Parts: sequence; structure tokens; C-alpha cells
Amino acid sequence: MESSDWELVQKCQAGKIDAFQELVSRYHQKIYTVIVGLLRNREDALEVAQETFFRAYRKIKSFQGGSSFYTWLYRIAVNIAIDSQRRQKRNPLDFRETMDGLFEEQNEVAKDPFSDVHDRELREKLVSAINDLTPEHKAVIILRTVEGLSYKDIGEILGCSEGTVMSRLHYARKKLQQKLSVFL
Amino acid sequence: MREDCERTRESLSRWVDGHLSVSDAEAIRLHLGGCAACDRERRQLEKLEFSLKSVLVSDVPRIDFEPFWAGVRERITKKPRRREAIMEWARSTFTPPALAWTVPAVIVVLLGVLSMDSFWRSGWQRNNFAAVESIDAHGRNIALLREDETKTTVIWLYQNQEGEDESSGENAETNPSF
Repeated sequence: MESSDWELVQKCQAGKIDAFQELVSRYHQKIYTVIVGLLRNREDALEVAQETFFRAYRKIKSFQGGSSFYTWLYRIAVNIAIDSQRRQKRNPLDFRETMDGLFEEQNEVAKDPFSDVHDRELREKLVSAINDLTPEHKAVIILRTVEGLSYKDIGEILGCSEGTVMSRLHYARKKLQQKLSVFL
Repeated sequence: MREDCERTRESLSRWVDGHLSVSDAEAIRLHLGGCAACDRERRQLEKLEFSLKSVLVSDVPRIDFEPFWAGVRERITKKPRRREAIMEWARSTFTPPALAWTVPAVIVVLLGVLSMDSFWRSGWQRNNFAAVESIDAHGRNIALLREDETKTTVIWLYQNQEGEDESSGENAETNPSF
């Protein structure tokens, strides 16, 4: 029978690295997806994702199980990603090149239920509009849209109330809607 | 815009997320059924969500677990450099709860040190009669009284009393006549 996250965490706290490996295998793709959404750069996202698990391992003894393991892990990831984003402040050219790379490689990605959005212009505008959001607004959009997390979980991850999550989501969507009104 | 349209649009984001109570969700559904403008807003929001998912989820490649884990494991087993170790110590030590009491404590200690410093510098000489200087100017005696605490200087003119000679100046200072 598959161990729960909490059982694996307790094994990690007892020094069993195999248990941590199991936790990494469960969450590495999800964490990577969220970080790519925040940073819009695959190489940086890979670095930040690995750093997230490294810091989680270092701090795992302090995890008491007050929240779920994944919200705790996401909190570490989002904090590192936001810090990294503020530090780097990539120039727009780098960003565009990165996104062109993403579009070109899209065929390599497995088909998904949303892959019928073909309008390249809409995609480019959408990416540009997402990039214009503040890191906090971008984070709520990604955690809600990509991960489908509840307002409560998003609040725990970002260290704010459910009300703040609601208002950030409302504001961020409004902003995106305004910028993309021609296409929607 | 009508008041109920405004209220509906404020709640649309939560409605799309399924974060409204059953009664509120029903009220929104009924309003959307009869209001073309709000329904258009709803369609726009749903299309935005759909496009966001498409861009944010489908553009992300799958990553192989083995090389990813190798990278994480390398970080775990690598001995931290001195700078990283210091940064890590600082991060774990200066947490917000620790700073919450450390900052006021440091301010109190600093204020204490500053007041001690000003006490040591001027505290010993602090005396209302500390600086009395006597000057003999053209046959008149002038005394300057400097009082430290209030930073007051008193210029004090007096004459020698009869029978007093120059050598008895000390008495004149202690018993001056105006």
C-alpha cells in the first residue's frame, strides 16, 4: 500500500533519504509546472525546482504537519521563484526568445484537452499580459488555474487570507481580460 | 451599469471557481440567463481561463525524474561553502518572530548605551556651582557662573568691600555685595 505524504515525511525526519526521494517523485512535475508559470524560463525553473526540494529536505525536521506537505512545499517553491524573479529582472528580449522556444517545442508536449487554442497571437498576448502581472497576482493565477488549488490552500501558500486571494484573483483576471479584450 | 449587474460581475470570478454558496450561485445563474451583457462577461472569463490553462499547462514539458533527482541529491550531499553556511544560519536565525523581539531589544540596549555614554561624559562635572570664574577687569571684579544643567551663564559684577585688599579676593567671591 502506498504511504501517505505524512508517513514519508516522518521517515525523512528519521533520516531516510529514500522516503524523500519518493516525495520528490510525487511532486517534482507539479512544482516544476508552477515555477515555469512564474518564471517563464525552463532552465531557471529547473534550477529553482531542485533548490525547492533541497531546501525542503534541509527544513523537513521543522515540518510539524500543521498544513499539508504539498502546501508547505509550494510555499517554499513560490517564495524562491518570486525572489529569483525579483533578482533577475530579465529583459524583454530574453523573455520573448524563451517563449518562442516554448511555442516551437509545443509539438513535443503530449496532447492535452486544452491544446486546441491555436491562435498564436492570442497566446503571445496572453503570455505578455501574464508577464506584466505582479509576482503575487501571477502566483494566484497559476496556483488556481494550473493546480486548481482552493482559496484556502492558496492563502496558506502565499501567507495571506482567503479574502486577499479572492481579491487578487479578481483583480488579476480583470487585468488580463482588459488586455485581451480583442481576442476574447 | 445596474446594481445587480455590478454585483454579478464582482462575483463572477468566484462563480467560475465554484467558490460561491449554493444560493449565491443560483442568483448569479438566474441573472446571467436574463442579462446578455453579464453573460458575455461570463463567456470572456471562461475563455480566458481556458486559454490560461492551455498556455500555462500544455507548454510545460515533462521532466525526467532520474536526472532531476540526481541534481537534488547532489545539492543535499554537497558540503555547503562557508558563505552559504552563513547565509543559511542567518536565514534560520533571523526569522520574522525572532526579529519581532530582537529589534525592540536592540533599540532599548542602544538607548541605554547612549544614555550611559552621555552620563559618563558630563555626569561627573554636573554641578550648579561647577564653573565660577573670576576676572579682574579694570578694577572691577567680574564673575562668570556657568551652570551646566540649564546651560545658563550668569555675569556677576561686584565691588570689593571696604577693608578688603587684593589678597582677600576669595572672601569677596564668597560674600559679594551688589
